[in-house]
Parts: sequence; structure tokens; C-alpha cells
Amino acid sequence: MPRSKEILNLAVSIGEVMLESGGEIYRVQETVGHVLEAYGIGDYHVFVITNGIFATVHEQREDAGSMVRYVPIGEVNLQRVAAANQLSREISAGECKIEEAYEKLLACRKDKGLPKWLLILSGGVGCAGFGYLMGARPYDSFFSFFLGMFLEAFLILAAHYKTSKFITNILGSALITAGSLIFYAAGAGILYDRVIIGGIMPLLPGVSLTTAIRDLFGGDYLSGGIRLTDALLTSMCIAIGVGAAVKAFQMLGGGVLPL
Amino acid sequence: MISQVIMCMLATVAFAILFHVPRTEYFFCAVNGAVGWITYASWNMHGAGPVAASLWAALALTLLARAFSAIRRMPSTVFLITGIFSLVPGSGLYYTSYFLIVGDLARFMEKGTETLKIAGAIVLGMIFGLVLPQGWFNQLGKLLHPPDH
Repeated sequence: MPRSKEILNLAVSIGEVMLESGGEIYRVQETVGHVLEAYGIGDYHVFVITNGIFATVHEQREDAGSMVRYVPIGEVNLQRVAAANQLSREISAGECKIEEAYEKLLACRKDKGLPKWLLILSGGVGCAGFGYLMGARPYDSFFSFFLGMFLEAFLILAAHYKTSKFITNILGSALITAGSLIFYAAGAGILYDRVIIGGIMPLLPGVSLTTAIRDLFGGDYLSGGIRLTDALLTSMCIAIGVGAAVKAFQMLGGGVLPL
Repeated sequence: MISQVIMCMLATVAFAILFHVPRTEYFFCAVNGAVGWITYASWNMHGAGPVAASLWAALALTLLARAFSAIRRMPSTVFLITGIFSLVPGSGLYYTSYFLIVGDLARFMEKGTETLKIAGAIVLGMIFGLVLPQGWFNQLGKLLHPPDH
């Protein structure tokens, strides 16, 4: 393998880790460029969109190389974005040989992350906390906490079985709504709407919205549009899930819910 | 108010864990979330309404996230994504779909428009926060991390 190809592979792989973990387009584009330059390749072109990287080096020369990577939108993992960013900094500073960089990248990919119970627990805490901000009483937050843990467990399971994002969001918000309404109907005396609002927090497209704005601001209109569409569709799915559960509750004889 | 801020910090850290933020940055994410919420709540308290309050809060949050990013040498996304969740209009989304289902179209329109306006305000606030040149924030970072050579 010519050296240029090896360098290109490294650069694009670092970009890939960033992109799939939730990095912005301009950051990926710049990172790939920095890595290539650090190893002495000045003649390159990189094009990045939300789910793909295209790059060529030394187009006019013998050792020309090109690479296309399809990068599906993955789970947000800011640890990996930060690690890849750090790696690219080290490479730019000339502190890292190619082989060394490959090893670091592999280690960053292999990083298992946090234990599942911690994720489930933080799902609960997040729902309870944001529910409280939206006007729930501590008593209601207690229910949000359990529903939030339940939702996070469901999300982990759904990710494991690679369920479609639409179905996951619709089912997730329906689960939260149904759970809250069941407690309400059982006479728990909760403000069921605050419990629902707290519960759907982890599903809300905050990440897509933020990344969309950053991409649009960086001039990557195509990628920003993709993220914006994602945010809009996710919100609609949540609305459908909530609406379906409320409707089902009414039809089962729950009557019109007081607000 | 104080209990709200504490809960906001707790919830922000919880979301930071969900997004696998590096462990060393939890505290800064929490501070960012809290500043966003304090800005939102204080503008809201003085009668600015949720839309204007969201705009100012998003602006404050973005500037602080960029400052943290320079100081901590982290991508600013880390602080921005985790901080923004206290502003995302989840309650608006819920009430919009609720009023649609119960057939109260007047309030559906009202809530739906408000939710869209809040989302737009967050976008605007973040864009205002992003237009300041990166060099200013880098100066801040250099002030705190004097170059070794």
C-alpha cells in the first residue's frame, strides 16, 4: 500500500469516528485536512456530509488515492469526539507516528463506555430533573424518575435490536404517556402532564437541533438540512406517540383528561 | 429558584452521562446548563415571555460553551448539546399534540405556534452566539494556558 493511501485511511478513519459520534461537519472536514497536512500531504480534497466522507489525495500523481465512507448516524458519544479531536491535535503537533495514531484510534473505538445500569439511572435522574424544571412537584418527579429509567432501558434494548428510529420514538413516547396515565388512573394523584413532559425529555431532538444549527452556520446547508429534517420528524414521532396513548386512554373510558 | 438550579445541574449531568461526555467535563456541563436555565427563568420572571427568554438563554449558553471549549480544550459541542436540553420546548410539544387529540384547535394553533417560535428563538440565539470570532475565545484560552515554548 502506498504511503499516501495509508495516511488517507488514517485521516478518514479519524473523521469517521467523529462524524458517527455526533461531531459537526466543519470539524470533521478540518480534522481530516489537518491530519493529511501533518503527514506531508498538501494536495487533497475532502467533502463531508452528515452520513458520508469523500476524500482524494495527490490526484495528479502516481500514488493517487481516493476514499468513500458511508457513515450512518450513530449514538451520540462525545467522549469519542473529544478523543478524536485530541488525537488530531497531537498529530498536528507532530507528536504521533502513523502506527501510533492507528493504535490510539483503535483504542478509542474499542472503548466500551459506561455500564448500562449507570445509563439507566441517569435516564431516570434526567427525566425527574427536567420534569421538575417544567413545573412538576417533587412527588411527580418521583414517578418521572421511574418512567425515565424504564424508557432508557427500552431505548438500550431498541438500539440493541436496531429498531427503526421512528418506531423507537413513537413507542417510547407512547410508553411514557401510557405509564403516566396508568398511575394517574390508579389514583396516584400525580400531575400526569408534568410527568409526561419530564419523561419524553430524552427523546427530544436537542442534539439534532444543535448540530443542525452548527452545520447550517458553517455553510454546510445539505447536512444542516438533513439534521433539521431529523429533528422535525423526531418531534412528530413523539407527538404521534403521545397522542395515540392519550386517545387510547380516552377510548378505554378514561374520559376527557383534566388539564 | 435555588432548588430549580440544583435540579437543572443534576439533570444536565445525567444527560451528559447519556451522551458519554468525558468524566472531567461533567461539572462544566452542569454549570452551562444552570446558566442557561437561570437566564431563561430570570427573563421569564420579568415578563419577557418564553420566546424572548429562550433567545437570551440560548445566546448565554452558546457564549459560555465556546468559552469553556477554549479553556478546557474540548470541542464546544460537548457543552452546547448538554446545555441546550433545559431550553428545548418539550412541554410545548406535549401540549400541542394533546390539544390536537382532544380537538381544541384554537389552543392547538396557539401552542404549536409558540413551540415553533421557541425553537426558532433557540436557533437565533445560538447563531448570535456563534458569530463572535473564534479568535476572541482562543485569546481567553491562551490567557489560561500560557504556551510552554
